[in-house]
Amino acid sequence: MSTREFKDVRALSIASDAQQMIEVARAEGIETVWDRLAAQQPQCGYCALGVSCRNCAMGPCRIDPFGAGPQKGVCGADADVIVARNLGRTIAAGSSAHSDHGRDILEVFAATAHGETNGYRITDEAKLMRLAAELGIATDGRTTTAVAVELADLLMENYGTRRAALSFVERTPKVRQDLWDSLGVTPRGIDRESVEMLHRTHMGVDNDYVNILLHGLRTSLADGWGGSMIATELSDILFGTPSPVVSTVNLGTLKPDMVNIALHGHNPMLSDVIVQAAEDPDLIALAHELGAAGINLVGLCCTGNELLMRRGVPMAGNHLMQELAITTGALEAMVVDYQCIMPSVTDVAKCYHTVVISTSDKAKFPGAVHMSFDPSRGMEIGRDIVRRGVEAFANRNPSRVRIPVEPVQLMAGFSVEAILGALGGTPAPLVEAIADGRIRGAVGVVGCNNPKLTQDYGHVTLTRRLIENDILVLVTGCSAVANGKAGQMMPAAAAMAGPGLRATCEALGIPPVLHMGSCVDNTRILVLAAALANHLGVDISQLPLAGAAPEWYSEKAVAIGAYVVASGITTVLGVEPPIFGSRNVTGLLAGGLDDVVGAKFAVEADPERAAVIIRRHLEAKRAALGLPAIDVDTIVAPVATA
Amino acid sequence: MKLVFVNPERCIGCLQCEFACAVEHSTSKSGTSAWMEEPTPRTRVHVDPGPVMGTSFPSRCRHCDPAPCQQVCPTSAITRDAEQDLVLVDPQTCISCAMCAMVCPFDALTFHPVEVGTEVRTVAVKCDGCVDRVRRGETPACVDACKVGALVFGELNDLVAEGRLRGSGSVLAAVTAAEASEEAVADGPTAAWRSWGAAASRVESTATTVGGGSR
Repeated sequence: MSTREFKDVRALSIASDAQQMIEVARAEGIETVWDRLAAQQPQCGYCALGVSCRNCAMGPCRIDPFGAGPQKGVCGADADVIVARNLGRTIAAGSSAHSDHGRDILEVFAATAHGETNGYRITDEAKLMRLAAELGIATDGRTTTAVAVELADLLMENYGTRRAALSFVERTPKVRQDLWDSLGVTPRGIDRESVEMLHRTHMGVDNDYVNILLHGLRTSLADGWGGSMIATELSDILFGTPSPVVSTVNLGTLKPDMVNIALHGHNPMLSDVIVQAAEDPDLIALAHELGAAGINLVGLCCTGNELLMRRGVPMAGNHLMQELAITTGALEAMVVDYQCIMPSVTDVAKCYHTVVISTSDKAKFPGAVHMSFDPSRGMEIGRDIVRRGVEAFANRNPSRVRIPVEPVQLMAGFSVEAILGALGGTPAPLVEAIADGRIRGAVGVVGCNNPKLTQDYGHVTLTRRLIENDILVLVTGCSAVANGKAGQMMPAAAAMAGPGLRATCEALGIPPVLHMGSCVDNTRILVLAAALANHLGVDISQLPLAGAAPEWYSEKAVAIGAYVVASGITTVLGVEPPIFGSRNVTGLLAGGLDDVVGAKFAVEADPERAAVIIRRHLEAKRAALGLPAIDVDTIVAPVATA
Repeated sequence: MKLVFVNPERCIGCLQCEFACAVEHSTSKSGTSAWMEEPTPRTRVHVDPGPVMGTSFPSRCRHCDPAPCQQVCPTSAITRDAEQDLVLVDPQTCISCAMCAMVCPFDALTFHPVEVGTEVRTVAVKCDGCVDRVRRGETPACVDACKVGALVFGELNDLVAEGRLRGSGSVLAAVTAAEASEEAVADGPTAAWRSWGAAASRVESTATTVGGGSR
């Protein structure tokens, strides 16, 4: 209960816009995520180790990791069972979040196919037909509507209990499918696996930590090759498959003379309609009438990524920027859907003229205006929401407007289709570059921000070290925003890359860091990995690939990490997951799993050292494939110079 | 001189003080890896259950003066740090005779393996008042970890006075409210004060029937 002094803002974020706005918030007495983290210190050690359980009312229980106190909960569960149960539930929550997002998109897709929506259409008909054909739906001579209706039915079935395997499992190499079958982790139904995890982790059901963890992998695969993948594929069909686009990023995307509306959350279902609504001449006229030069839409978090990828909408920031976007004093409205929207945004908004507008009936915020979104009246509601934002401009206090920086350019829009397009329609050129060693491998640097770490430092530093060493980096989510702000995502950033990667990027006119989308779009990375493996006739786990989540915080990130590893890609986490209270669970995830699924987890908070772990891993994979490889012992971290 | 004071009515039994104490007395000082060290670092504060379910008391060395443990230690392993006024055990000189534990009014001493020079020996382990932290001007780890004010750090008479003020405030509120009206008796600080009194007398009566017995 001691009082603490403010930390130097440079320890909180590497981003200039964040540092400046944190200073503003402090000066004005506005509480932010960093203040609340400080107030929570020290955080619960039992929970941080994963050895606390509140699943039943015989508890709550915790295991004393130091050995003097209880070693079993009231039910008899030891640290292994408690840690595994907690991890299982975390994966189920993350998988459920992605998959419910996917279901919302699927329902709008189905309703659009039946002509029951307003503001939506099948934008990418070619992709619809391609996907339908891939999933065994007849397309010859059939109407778009007929194909879309049948595809929607098939994907809805993927959520249920009537299948032995999810449709998209077929995308993986046969050897991987056989492995999953032999382990009993082939995902069967998207909802089913999460529900079964909740069942198994009820007291007195699955009391074998290995069995729980295996089902954890299955639950995550139902996300990666199910719910999230459906979200990505159908969003492409409804709103368009991304192709390379240049836009801008950071709080400088907010304009002092315009009505600024931030679209925050994860689902493009509503925000895509708002982009259309904001072009309404009447609303623009209203903005002019109130003295604004126009309406400026910006994105936050993954709703922002969805809009950036498809429509080039500027990106205001990632997770830890959501409160700070309001403290610019220049934000008229923050329109939120769901996921990662801090309950605190309405508290910060109360200090300004900003209106927080919640739109999903699943996600309400005390202090927000709720405008329930209904796809059957999409455009009408979209216009109402934009109007609300425009009207708030009249309440703006110009003396409090502080836009801290100039925007930075970034290139986004790298769907798998776009990457293959850039390569000439086949992964062969990329495979050749990897095979001859110009490119050492590819790494997905993904995941969130976490106030426990200096914001964006992990994303930017790790990415920089990888590209410097000729490793292609694929980014999504908060990592994409961090790298964009650091100027690492324009074609000119090829100059930062090693000679091999640089030459490849310059030949293709692409950046060394490719923005592949939102966090559900991590499935694009899975699809690309599977395509490379299938092209070479090997398993995914044999490829020189890795994943990294340097600043992760959310349950969804745990599900992503699990499905990436279960798919055969070793992943390095920058924040310790709450599993270290069990030697057995930790040992399995960080070691034994490699013999089971050909990939494992590592934890390393320092991005310099994480880069070394990843480079060694890629070179070991290269050597095993018989490709030219560097001796892993020669790869060491740079020595810090004063 | 500052010391750690306990407000037992505020303790919710979360054991955060025990965890923080063990981590503070580890080599790594890391909440993730401290428990994997050999010998295992041990907590020196012990949250023991009270006589009624849901009550608990974080018990630790009171650093008495004169300290009975110091008076009986045959090897003078127990000394008083003059600067911080803390009673400390020197593991080098401790012979694990347990005389200290026998005379301690609070049963604050336990015996565990610790690293003594190059060997691991079982010696007396007790609260050192986080002497290193206090020398740096920080609060002890248990107090830092306590989110509910059950463990507080400060000047003894200030802490006592703070408690007295809380008590007198409640009494006066109760008296004032009782005089003001009958309805007001049922709510606010009055009700809290009365239920506290009722709970306290229940604790006393249960304690006498259940008897002592501590971990």
